[in-house]
Amino acid sequence: MAAEHAVISTRGRIARGSLGVYGALIYLFLFAPIVLLVLFSFNANRYGTFPITGWTLEWYRAAISDYQIHDALSTTLRIAFEVTIISTVVGTAAAFPLVRSRLPFRNGIRIVVVLPIMIPGLLIGVSLLVLFTQTLHQELSTQTAVIGQAVYTTPFVILLVAARLQGFDRRLESAASDLGANTFNRLRLVVVPLLLPAIIAGALFAFTLSLDEFIITYFLIGGHNTLPIYIYTQVKFGITPEVNALAAMLLGASLAILALAFALPQVIRAVRRGLRHARGRETTLAEGVA
Amino acid sequence: MSAAATAVELTAPVPRHRRFAGAAASYAGFLPAIVLFGGFFLVPLAIIVCYSFWEVVNYDVVHHWTLGNYDYFFSVSTYVTTMWATLWVAVVATAITIALAFPFAYWLSRYVPQRLRPLLLVLVVVPFWTSYLLRVYSWLTILGEKGLLNRFLQWTGITDHPIGLFLYDRPAVILVLIYLYFPFAALTLYASIERFDWDQLRAAMDLGAPPLTALRKVLIPQIRPGIVTAVIFVFIPVLGEYLTPQIIGGLNGIMIGNLVVNFFQAAEYTRGAAVSLLIAAFIILLLFIFRRSLSAPEAYGG
Repeated sequence: MAAEHAVISTRGRIARGSLGVYGALIYLFLFAPIVLLVLFSFNANRYGTFPITGWTLEWYRAAISDYQIHDALSTTLRIAFEVTIISTVVGTAAAFPLVRSRLPFRNGIRIVVVLPIMIPGLLIGVSLLVLFTQTLHQELSTQTAVIGQAVYTTPFVILLVAARLQGFDRRLESAASDLGANTFNRLRLVVVPLLLPAIIAGALFAFTLSLDEFIITYFLIGGHNTLPIYIYTQVKFGITPEVNALAAMLLGASLAILALAFALPQVIRAVRRGLRHARGRETTLAEGVA
Repeated sequence: MSAAATAVELTAPVPRHRRFAGAAASYAGFLPAIVLFGGFFLVPLAIIVCYSFWEVVNYDVVHHWTLGNYDYFFSVSTYVTTMWATLWVAVVATAITIALAFPFAYWLSRYVPQRLRPLLLVLVVVPFWTSYLLRVYSWLTILGEKGLLNRFLQWTGITDHPIGLFLYDRPAVILVLIYLYFPFAALTLYASIERFDWDQLRAAMDLGAPPLTALRKVLIPQIRPGIVTAVIFVFIPVLGEYLTPQIIGGLNGIMIGNLVVNFFQAAEYTRGAAVSLLIAAFIILLLFIFRRSLSAPEAYGG
């Protein structure tokens, strides 16, 4: 890099400079809508747009005390928890045979498993709608929405855990067996701790995706409302300052979860290291093996 | 688990039932996934395929094979126009997204100092992980009648009344689609440009190639898989878009996804199924065109 800088030509400098400006414009493009949305949520103007007539927290108060939003929020969270549990368990369990065993048609299965990410959610939504209402004659409920979302979120967990498993040193497990660990202990003491960052990342992914999911839920939830669906029904009639405030809070929440997804693996590692250190001082080494 | 089994095999013969149990145990983890993806993904898709070839008699779906649903779709000119318009929107949006993302990825991997890159990459990802619906919605504050754009034009005196032109038409839809899918294209292209050896470009230029020729003949061929991935992952979701045309596009910006939703909301399941299958057919066609550049195992890192 340093050598390149030394011999750079005028033309190179122009390219670098104009691309730098271009990069800045791209970030402006990416963030301007979001920043404006947050800005308007504090705007006293009751039409939710320009001009800015003053600053207020009124819309946040209105959004927080709206019972429809309460309802939608509790439904959204309940669905998100169920989806997270299902897709974490199903996805983690499925990652093992996908990476390790000689599953028949393994490549075909691998494609089927990522297909729900690749095809538009619309197709998942309508096909499950037909399955539930026409074939199974089921009433639509939050449960049907949970199943639909899980189809879409589980592949992400599978991909994350499979990627981690791919780089997993199998000899660690053989060593654990040689030292007398049975399958359960091998999983508990060796495999799961090493895969934990991927599993947690997968769970947080599933949770965030579920919070935001619209189209599959829209078809499958029947009479209930999740937050995205509530916002959608409001937005149909134009922007309102309450929705701006709600949107700003939701953006904050997804950013917090995203930050957590990045930070949590490191925190866990640090805590575990601390624990091991503390335990090591008071017990003998042999205990760790048994 | 099977490695543990082979490790034991080396020392002592294992009873056959235990070996079988080991193999079964290694597949067992896949059972829940078979239920989930088989029962709630493949089976429903198969049902949709059947539905698209069945007909409705007296509000009941009859298992009688027919091409009637497709005939009906192609006999209504608004539907056909919408289908072509959707393809056109998808092609234009994908092309512009890639064209915007390429110089950005190039800048990021060539000119941005190494220590700044992780931060700038995270900043690209952040909008991607905020709510999809809210990102569409946020454009109303810019494109709407009282939005930023109209305010700006009135302020500069270009116009004295708000222009409704920005919203509720295809150009607005394309703009928002570009906004939605830019991060994905940028990250995909960055990942493949980052591995490129810049000395090759310098060598080409030393041998007399003008910079753009060098880019076209040396860089582009090497990052082709990245470009194809970006094209596919922008094009496919755009084909099935519902929210963006609904919120931003209005009546003039309607796309094929809106037709699907309208049919299903009107309980016209067989016709809706046929339109869904048209979307699927376009996706399959796209994957077929690019089949050589695609490899599923790559996604699993092996």
